[in-house]
Amino acid sequence: MSQRINLQGNHACALGAIRAGCRFFAGYPITPSSEVAESMARELPKVGGTFIQMEDEIASMAAVIGASMGGMKSMTATSGPGFSLKQENLGYACGAEIPCVIVNVMRGGPSTGMPTRPSQGDIMQARWGTHGDHPIIVLAPASAAEAFSETSRAVELSEQLRVPVVVLLDEAIGHLVETVDLDAIPETPEVWRKWAEGPKQDYEPYAVTDDMVPPMSRPGDGYRTHTTGLTHAPNGFPTQNPAIAEAALTRTTTKLDLHRERYESWRVRQCDDADLLIVAIGISARAAQAAVDDLRADGVKAGLFRPVTLWPFPEEALREVVASSGAKTVLVPEMNQGQLVLEVERVLKGSAGTVGLGRIDGEAITPDQIAGKAREILG
Amino acid sequence: MGSQQVRLSGSGGQGLILAARILASALVAEGRNIAQSQSYEPVSRGGLSRSDLIISDGEAAFPLADTLDVLLILHGDASRASTGLLNAKSLVLTDSDLVTDPPKGRFKTVSLPFSETARLLGNKRVANIVALGAIAARSDICGAGALEAAIASNTPPKFARLNVEAFAAGQNLCKAEVPA
Repeated sequence: MSQRINLQGNHACALGAIRAGCRFFAGYPITPSSEVAESMARELPKVGGTFIQMEDEIASMAAVIGASMGGMKSMTATSGPGFSLKQENLGYACGAEIPCVIVNVMRGGPSTGMPTRPSQGDIMQARWGTHGDHPIIVLAPASAAEAFSETSRAVELSEQLRVPVVVLLDEAIGHLVETVDLDAIPETPEVWRKWAEGPKQDYEPYAVTDDMVPPMSRPGDGYRTHTTGLTHAPNGFPTQNPAIAEAALTRTTTKLDLHRERYESWRVRQCDDADLLIVAIGISARAAQAAVDDLRADGVKAGLFRPVTLWPFPEEALREVVASSGAKTVLVPEMNQGQLVLEVERVLKGSAGTVGLGRIDGEAITPDQIAGKAREILG
Repeated sequence: MGSQQVRLSGSGGQGLILAARILASALVAEGRNIAQSQSYEPVSRGGLSRSDLIISDGEAAFPLADTLDVLLILHGDASRASTGLLNAKSLVLTDSDLVTDPPKGRFKTVSLPFSETARLLGNKRVANIVALGAIAARSDICGAGALEAAIASNTPPKFARLNVEAFAAGQNLCKAEVPA
């Protein structure tokens, strides 16, 4: 029985998180992400979950971290100015390896910018917004259906890898209502973090395990634990011993390298024989899809590589697609002054030329704009 | 069926986004896929407001409007905002009282008294439903039966009768329409 409904991207984020077992949301509603909080306020009580509207974005991020340490799958949602405010506590979650999900619906910036207009100006902030070297995963849905499935996946990945996961939407995708067949989205078994087991006297909250993901102590189970934002040793207490500090920080980044196959995700469209490859996320990727179809109809060999997991960037995959297609140029349309294009350049190291196409006027990039640029490049 | 694009535009508070939601829900009941987007200004009432529907059989490649098959203009504030998205096949429906300067071009423009009809029915706020009646009668976007059911399921029961009358009145307007 098909369950076709018209679902908004933001509402889909909330429902996807709940399906994955998220039972705590603390937030401070902000355009264009408010519908995530609105949905959570309506839906969480029905499944025994907790919704709190906090006094600001900083407190809501802190509450999300506290709830997760208390044993709940937890999430918040925000946009530009709120995402900036959350960065300090987000860094705490990265450093202390607290599973949590942050939905950031990008609007025009900087500062309060253009609240109701779409942007993709937080691509770099999502990766490097908090200070210091830190592990983080960023997922970039490009449809209402993906907002649902990727937010579910965000909850799962944050649990499996003990890492904060950002779901990065642009306003156009957050506010887009699309027909979604909820039954077509596969049910996945509920995923929980590894809990501490075995002898209590030997337990170390940041022990080095084979998978580099230390088991967490479940409150009430009796394991002695310590959590801090200070650089810490395997026993959880602060250290400035150079060897221990280096090993501790290295483990958190090694952890993500080790589990690449778990979180990497990308989609290709017409890439096999592409002369020109387009790399884009979110609404810009939807415009690129239409541009690829239009160009192909005219006999122009264009293809699209769409990172669904944006950070860590699927670098091997992009290099392989560029090499196997033989594309000479990669076009990167994005709603900012050039962020994703820098990563594509870094990854390709000159194996193909890169051309950026930015738009910062508060309007979405159109298929015509991308197709026009592609024709200009191919001469 | 190919893909079609509809824009309902006017002034904030005229129920354009609700009308688009009703149309979207009717289309899904008819087995089609929709992508609905909207734009409004950061004010409670007034300002340019619009909602767009891309109607397709699978997921639309690009979910935002770029060429309109049907454009509704319910207020003068919106009369010029969408002209760039019109072509020779576009149908433009404008409110004959509130849109004094309708767009002119190779497309077909039909001016109808949506707001006046709503006022005569006793509530100017049903101009959006009157307009949906006209869209059902004047275009092949959506069947009247599916729209009627969607209006009933997306609006409060206490307005059910008024909405049925408004929808019928909108359909009737098209029987005696005059080119703008």
